Order: sequence, then C-alpha cells, then structure tokens
Amino acid sequence: MGDSQYSFSLTTFSPSGKLVQIEHALTAVGSGQTSLGIKAANGVVIATEKKLPSILVDETSVRDISSLFFHKSQPFSCLLFRCHFLILFFFLNYLWQVQKIQILTPNIGVVYSGMGPDFRVLVRKSRKQAEQYHRLYKEPIPVTQLVRETAAVMQEFTQSGGVRPFGVSLLVAGYDDKGPQLYQVDPSGSYFSWKASAMGKNVSNAKTFLEKRYTDDMELDDAVHTAILTLKEGFEGQISGKNIEIGIIGADKKFRVLTSAEIDDYLAEVE
Amino acid sequence: MSRGSGGGYDRHITIFSPEGRLFQVEYAFKAVKAAGITSIGVCGKDSVCVVTQKKVPDKLLDHTSVTHLFPITKYLGLLATGMTADARTLVQQARNEAAEFRFRYGYEMPVDVLAKWIADKSQIYTQHAYMRPLGVVAMVLGIDDEFGPRLYKCDPAGHYFGHKATSAGLKEQEAINFLEKKMKNDPQFTYEETVQTAISALQSVLQEDFKATEIEVGVVRKENPDFRMLSTEEIDEHLTAISERD
Repeated sequence: MGDSQYSFSLTTFSPSGKLVQIEHALTAVGSGQTSLGIKAANGVVIATEKKLPSILVDETSVRDISSLFFHKSQPFSCLLFRCHFLILFFFLNYLWQVQKIQILTPNIGVVYSGMGPDFRVLVRKSRKQAEQYHRLYKEPIPVTQLVRETAAVMQEFTQSGGVRPFGVSLLVAGYDDKGPQLYQVDPSGSYFSWKASAMGKNVSNAKTFLEKRYTDDMELDDAVHTAILTLKEGFEGQISGKNIEIGIIGADKKFRVLTSAEIDDYLAEVE
Repeated sequence: MSRGSGGGYDRHITIFSPEGRLFQVEYAFKAVKAAGITSIGVCGKDSVCVVTQKKVPDKLLDHTSVTHLFPITKYLGLLATGMTADARTLVQQARNEAAEFRFRYGYEMPVDVLAKWIADKSQIYTQHAYMRPLGVVAMVLGIDDEFGPRLYKCDPAGHYFGHKATSAGLKEQEAINFLEKKMKNDPQFTYEETVQTAISALQSVLQEDFKATEIEVGVVRKENPDFRMLSTEEIDEHLTAISERD
C-alpha cells in the first residue's frame, strides 16, 4: 500500500524507544465516546454512547441492522450455512447504516471508541477474513482467530510504508465453543481478553466502577444493568434508548443490537 | 524523512499529532470554508432540495461552466462545496463508480451506497500519506426505493450521515442553527416548502436577497426521481413566492 515515494514507515522509534504515532493514536481513542464491555457467565454485553452531532441528523440513517437480518433470514434458514453467511455479508455491506455497534459474524459483534471512518475499514476487513475462514474450513471462525487477524491488520498499519495507525480501539464480543469471550484490540495491534473493560473519554471512572461491580458469576441481564449504570456515570445529559447502543450475545450464540425500546425497558429497571 | 515524534510532519501529511488529531484533515475542512460559498440541503416528505451560491468572479467567464451541482447518474445528484478541482475529481470517480455498480449488479446505485463509497474513499486519504484529503464536502441526494427522499453529507474526514437538513461551507454553523429551528418538530415539507426553506435559509444566513442567476438549485422528487437543476425561471418563481410570503 502507498506510493513508492512513501516506502518508509511513518511510525518510527523515538530516541527513548517509544512508537510515538501509536501513543498519539491512543490519545485519539481517549477523546472518543465512551464504550465498554462486560463478560457474564452466560453471555457478553457491549455498549457505547451514541451522541449524534446535531438534531438535523436523520436517525433512520442510523438504522438497526439486526432488525433487517431477522425478517430476511426466514427464507434463508433452510439453505446451507455457507449461503447464509454470504448473503448476510452482502446485505451488510450494501445496506450498512451509520451504527456504532456492528456485527462481524452471527456470533461475534464489535464496538469501538475513536475515529468512525477507521472503524468502518476494520469492520470490512474483519468480515472478509471471517468469510474466508468459513469458506476454507466450513466452520464459523473462532473468536480468538478473528481477533488475532484483525489485530494483525492493525499492526500492519503501524509498520508499513506511507500509512498511519488506526485511531480506534475495538471491543470484540463473541460466543463460540469456548464460551463467552470479550477482547480489546488497541491501535498498536495488541489484544487482551477481558472480564470487563472500558475505553474512550471516561475510561478511568468507568474502569473503577466496573472493578467494584464485577462478579464472576454475573448473569447476562445483570451485566446489561451494570453496563447501563457505568455509562450513566459519566453521561452528560439525559440517558435514553436513543443516545446509547447496546449489543448482547447469549448462550444462543446470536449477536444482536438491542432496539431503543428494549434499552428503555432496561433503563426503567435500573432506576 | 519523518521522525517518530512527528517532527513537524504531522502538519504536512496525515499522521497523528501529539493530541491525537489529524491536522491535514482539519486543514481540509478549512479549505472548504476558504472557497467562500455556502450550501444548504433540505429533505422533505417526498423531495430533496439543495441550494448553493453561484459566484462568477469575472464578467468574461462563461457562467454556464461555473457550477457545483453535478448529476452522478440520472437519479443521483452531488453538490460539492469547497475546492472546485477536487470536486471535479470526486464527481468523475463517483460517476465511474455508479456506472460500474449499475453494470455489475443490474440496478441503480442507491444514495446511501454512493455516500458510503465517497466516505470510505475519503477515509483512505486520511490514512495513507501519498494522497492528501480532498477539500470538498459532498452532499448526495436521491430518492431511495425503500426509504424515499434521502440527503447524505460526506466530509474530508470520512464521516457520513443522513440528514433531514444540513449545510456546508463558509456560513455552515449559522445555517445549521437556522435549520435546527425550522426542523425542530419534524415538519414534513411538501416540494414547494422544501425548496423555499432551503432558499430562504440561504438568504437569511447570508443576509442578502438573491437574483435567480446567483444561486443554483437541484431537486429530486418522488413524482419525478430524475435529478434536475432548476432553470432560472423556476428559481424566480420560488424567489417571488418567498418574498410574497414574507
């Protein structure tokens, strides 16, 4: 990638041994909207603030993908799993709307903090990698493998010529044979598995809150409540189903984004 | 050669500054404002209208060649605010992409797909050093088969959103404030109201009354989904209607 004139890396070591471009990328992430994830005993929840820049923005252009997926999947459920995947990706790529939580495979979802346009690139690449794995092995890609490949892409952009690192950190939530999993991937390409994590503007308060509230035997519903409370901590203004997004995956191994009505129900329970 | 800390190069190419910002992208936004024109787009119940100033700096110029409003396909229009040369490049590539889409998939490229394509291309320029971001904010309009009238705005950072009404260019913020008041209760504008809201917003923000030759207006309507630029007579009718209304 890049012109031959830029065949040198833009991310180089400083005299103290740091890769400063990556640190700046992390600063960009730190000024993004807060997002968090919690791994429960029987599922994973990821959530984020969704503050649209103006009331003039058309909310329907920020459409819920999963609603289209469910009603369209009826005729496809009898086809081979392979076709299901392909058609899912076809729809996702062409009917993508501006939504922060995105689905990578039917059992893996992802949210970000940082630069939206960079996130779109990573989602597209990850979906393609998941599909290639499936075509080769006739199996859905395990969460760890997808995370590893996505992280490898992010690392590539810290070393290749003529490109800058991605200005996003990802929280990947999935449920496969090894159970529920939550991974955080940073602009450097390093990734870790977390029981609960947060990123973006309010990260230190959110993490302290999560440390206090987290228990290993939490159920998915408790985790959703905790996620909402954590978001509420640093939230400016009135929290509602319209300005946060929540994605969950349970033992049914189907990732879905909650509708704003469902979020409002959870909010009512929390109060 | 660039150094790890940026070494001043964070202002020259799109690498991160110490605060995590991309200066080149921010400068691209400034270039959009430096072009000195303001554009407005409004989405109604069954039509979309975009309006922009038409400044012909020299009387010797052929005024028909001065335009910021471009048809991409018969059904999609693009209003490019900012640097005219960058706008023409973007339009050329968008036209190519839309034509290939039609050939490859057998149906017309929808508005949001075009907007996403433009935004993704802009994102590449913010990440690869060999190309600078384009100094253009693009407003894409069209009638979607499922969702009706659609207006999208794509900026040099690679962001894109659908809008009920929006603005770009020099007086962007004032225009957005004006439009927020108008669109507060989600009015469903008819075609005439849509066009007149857009034109009167521009007049109010720039504080001058226009002649029909000083603005360009582009519309798409559900009854006639072809992207059309209004003739001077039609613009005159709307201008008269606005002044009579006030």
